[in-house]
Amino acid sequence: MSDLTSSLPQTSRRPYMSLHRIPGYTLWCKADWVLRIALIVGLILVLLTLAAPLISPFDPNHQSLISRLRPPLGFERYKAGFFLGTDELGRDVLSRCIYGLRLTFALALAGAVIGLLIGGTLGLLAGLVGGVFEDVVMGAVDAQIAIPFTLIALLILAIFGSSLEIMVLVLGVYGWEQHARIVRGEVRKLTGMPFIEAARAAGATPLRIALRHILPNVVSPLVVQFTLNFSNIVILESTLSFLGLGVQPPTATLGSMVGVGRDYLPTAPWIVVAPAMMILLLTFAVQILGDWLRDHADVRLRSR
Amino acid sequence: MLSYVLRTLLKMAVTLFIIVTLVFFATRLSGNPIDFVIGEGITQEDRQLLIAYYGLDGSIATQYWKFIASILTGEFGLSFLERRPVAEIAAERIWPSLKLLLSTAVFTFALSIPLGIAASVYRTRFVGSAIMVIAFMGYAVPPFVIATLLVLIFAYTLNWLPVVGDGTALHFIMPTLAMSGMFVAALTRFTRNAMLDVLGQDYMRTARAKGLPERTVILKHGLRNASITILSVVGLQIAGWIAAGSVVIESIFSWPGIGDLLVRSAIMRDYPVLQFGVLMVAVAVICVNAAVDIAYAYADPRIRLAKG
Amino acid sequence: MKKLLATTALASMLASGAFAAELTVGAANVSSYLDPGRDHSNVGSQFYYNAFDTLIDKNHDTTDTEWVPALATEWKLIEPTIMELKLREGVKFHNGEDMTADDVVFSLNRMYQATFTPYQVRARDRLGNFEKAEKVDDYTVRIYAKRAEPLWETLLNLQQVMIIPEEYTKALAGDPKVAEDDDYEAFSLKPVGTGPYKVADFVPGERVVWEKFDDFWGEKAPLDKVTVKHMPETASRITALKTGEADIITNIAPDQLSLIENDPDMKAEGSATALFHVMIMNQNHPVLKDPRIRQALSLSIDRDALNEALWLGKAVVPSTHTLKEFGQLYQPELTTFEYNPEKAKELLKEAGYDGTEITFDTAPSYYTNGLLAAQAIMEMWAEVGIKGKVNVGDKWTGNSPDLMVRNWSNPMYFADPFGCFGVMWAPNGPSESEGRFNTDEDYAKTWEKFRFSGDVELRRAAYAELMERIKQDPPVLPLYRPYESWAMKTNVNWAPKPGHIPYVLDFRAGSISFN
Repeated sequence: MSDLTSSLPQTSRRPYMSLHRIPGYTLWCKADWVLRIALIVGLILVLLTLAAPLISPFDPNHQSLISRLRPPLGFERYKAGFFLGTDELGRDVLSRCIYGLRLTFALALAGAVIGLLIGGTLGLLAGLVGGVFEDVVMGAVDAQIAIPFTLIALLILAIFGSSLEIMVLVLGVYGWEQHARIVRGEVRKLTGMPFIEAARAAGATPLRIALRHILPNVVSPLVVQFTLNFSNIVILESTLSFLGLGVQPPTATLGSMVGVGRDYLPTAPWIVVAPAMMILLLTFAVQILGDWLRDHADVRLRSR
Repeated sequence: MLSYVLRTLLKMAVTLFIIVTLVFFATRLSGNPIDFVIGEGITQEDRQLLIAYYGLDGSIATQYWKFIASILTGEFGLSFLERRPVAEIAAERIWPSLKLLLSTAVFTFALSIPLGIAASVYRTRFVGSAIMVIAFMGYAVPPFVIATLLVLIFAYTLNWLPVVGDGTALHFIMPTLAMSGMFVAALTRFTRNAMLDVLGQDYMRTARAKGLPERTVILKHGLRNASITILSVVGLQIAGWIAAGSVVIESIFSWPGIGDLLVRSAIMRDYPVLQFGVLMVAVAVICVNAAVDIAYAYADPRIRLAKG
Repeated sequence: MKKLLATTALASMLASGAFAAELTVGAANVSSYLDPGRDHSNVGSQFYYNAFDTLIDKNHDTTDTEWVPALATEWKLIEPTIMELKLREGVKFHNGEDMTADDVVFSLNRMYQATFTPYQVRARDRLGNFEKAEKVDDYTVRIYAKRAEPLWETLLNLQQVMIIPEEYTKALAGDPKVAEDDDYEAFSLKPVGTGPYKVADFVPGERVVWEKFDDFWGEKAPLDKVTVKHMPETASRITALKTGEADIITNIAPDQLSLIENDPDMKAEGSATALFHVMIMNQNHPVLKDPRIRQALSLSIDRDALNEALWLGKAVVPSTHTLKEFGQLYQPELTTFEYNPEKAKELLKEAGYDGTEITFDTAPSYYTNGLLAAQAIMEMWAEVGIKGKVNVGDKWTGNSPDLMVRNWSNPMYFADPFGCFGVMWAPNGPSESEGRFNTDEDYAKTWEKFRFSGDVELRRAAYAELMERIKQDPPVLPLYRPYESWAMKTNVNWAPKPGHIPYVLDFRAGSISFN
């Protein structure tokens, strides 16, 4: 419990300066074994994503109907070059995994960021402005919480079609209400605190208070929520594929590979196992990183 | 206190009104049920006949008015697909869903709370990290993959467990496990974080200073205070519990539940069923949240006195 | 854990024993209503034959046409447009009422002179030539056609004109003496017929339970109870068969067959079903207006390759829109559809195709292999230079002016080209009315000859002419007869019978037994 030594809310002293300057190095030194694994996995996945066209052995959408459902390396009927086997249309599972990872990564990141921006902004404004605006925002939050998100996604996709842009929008809507609640709650809590009042007394504008004093303090719960949403979006995308509403084929995402391939789990498990493992690694890395960030940022929020 | 309750109730009503209105217009925008239910390969004259027969020919304003009137009178109409009252259809499915939800909740709590506490207490040790890594698995694998794997192992290969429906206690094991994966991960994590928040508080130090045994400190002072946060988080997740995770589980285990009903009616544009189902879920969620709010207010003297 | 195994064993013992033969079917889809009159879906056709009878039945063991007396014992034409039928005496409905001419007239006229919208819609495409049914005496009825009908028996063997009880139906809602819309709606939840099984329990979309009907007029049902349960996931259905929770399961995709065949406890039965998976093309879409473009879309598809890859070669690729079940109208010698990528390229060039994207709509999972075939077709199009894109959705887009290409199925509703091609592609029929198919006077004349000629040769010639029209200005390409499989425990003897319309679950006497 040595963390307790720093017990003042850090607002203007920029506590993360050293960390910001060389994040990789500091992170690595402070990391325990789990985080180190997560960092390595994360790094590999990012590299795979960036270098997809270079390393992927085949065009992910190229079919070969005569060599459908070939198993991975080391099994009978293996087709040379197709290390992770081929799928139900004879496409290379490895290449699809790499491109799928790329798209899933992008979708989840875009979705989570959009959700954070929408929710965070609305929550911040609601907390600062108050009044009718706050009632409206929180009413929308309540409404959103009460409708299962799958249905909302379904209706949006039905109305606007399931192009990639719409998909990003749908996934972006996901989780905004959580961010809004968290931020607004933190803002309400903080505005009553002495250091904000002091800032206000010293003549700080509301904008300055919001950006310099409040925002840094809500970062930690937001980071946690962000990583949660990231994983949830990856899973959500696969659930939509399960229901036949995912990204349009033949485009591969990890979720659609798993969702569409599930019927092959008993007969050709590699179609599902490979992308499922990718999903596992991706969410694992993001979660661990998020948790670590939380633990190390939240310390400063503990004193009330 | 009374005015607070009234305010909460009013807010509930407004929220519900917004929800049903949104759902109404979103479904109307998303396509005509005729093109999903029976519209294949019929002449356009026949299509018009069917549209009239199903009462879909009025202007959207008339339809909306009819819809609001139907809610106020409690007559929610007939399903386009099944041609029977939507309330009857929903009633058939509530109980199976609720049973699965309950068994999932019990299992999730029984597993996650101790795990979360352990993970917070042993945060810096191997055990803590290991717990969190295992918990992450629940987040990291789509529930239908977990479910299908369970089915292949325990039913297909070992022949130990049944896969169809909700007939016996054995039927609950696999769906509960598969449903819980995500929630165990979430709740373990929330518990751990809430406990970490609490463990650093002054009153914890006071409790320790008083010489109370560590067990008592953690369970009595720590968990009790953390549980408020945990419960409010759980309240928020209910809607997600009902539809998002369960539709795939219900479909894999042929479980006649509400998630399957909602999603199917949305896909088929069975408006009456969808509207009623959403309304029902929304009421449930809002009631739970309102109850949590009120309980929260009651428990927290600051709010109680301020609003009192 | 041994318990499950024990109960399974017990169930199969009982099943094979003489006392209580029970059966559970795991079905991928269960109907949301049960009324043979308004239904013609592939899901619905599973459920009617066990509980309902037609006036004239068919020998289902063969694809040849052999009519068999059912609720009518004899029938004859007394004029070219009037048929008189003698009804079987002593037939009881499941609710105990006797079947008389009144019930038959009621059942037929509910379709011939439909007032209930869903019946009107269903009758229009196939029963348009029938004017009315009339009672002569308690066990004699006459049916009046508008003009001489070459397909009398065929059109009395339809699912849509299965016989239902008059009094029971009328009394279901509102005035017990009048047939109202609500009566028919109520009937579809509590159906009553004369078949060897009665519907003992029906939960729409979830469950159908048949129980043996002891007063059945013909050979009694071989099973005491059959439960059909909705099991949407393939892996779960197969597992249910393995755990003993199901004895028969439906809809096994070809890719899963190996799983069944490699297991000593299970076996699969299947057949090339009497329907075509088709690709329809919008003749009126600006991009596809030139017939050469649509010909190219069709010529570039290697249907045999699709069959080999996706159906393990078990599907049947037709040269024209014809099925063996059509009997004398079966014309495999016609070549309406073929694979010729070179010609496709030429035609595209001639037509000046500019690389505009052509969308191919498909439902995500409704047709077995539908989405896979769509994606494979995109690749085949790409080979000849057509830019295609799959568009997945559950909405029926066949009536949209924006439709370019989509998949569909064309079932054989009854064993005649009229019951397959004819239902969809008649002049002023659904396809034309939806605005994606054009006919002219010439087509209509040929159609008349095909539909109403008393001479089979004339009908054949007219149909060949229609096919030539389709070839020149194609609105459709039949991809293949899909191979549909059912899996069951090894001790169950059941297989789809060749004489049925697609997907019928026939558990009547002689159709199922146990080892």
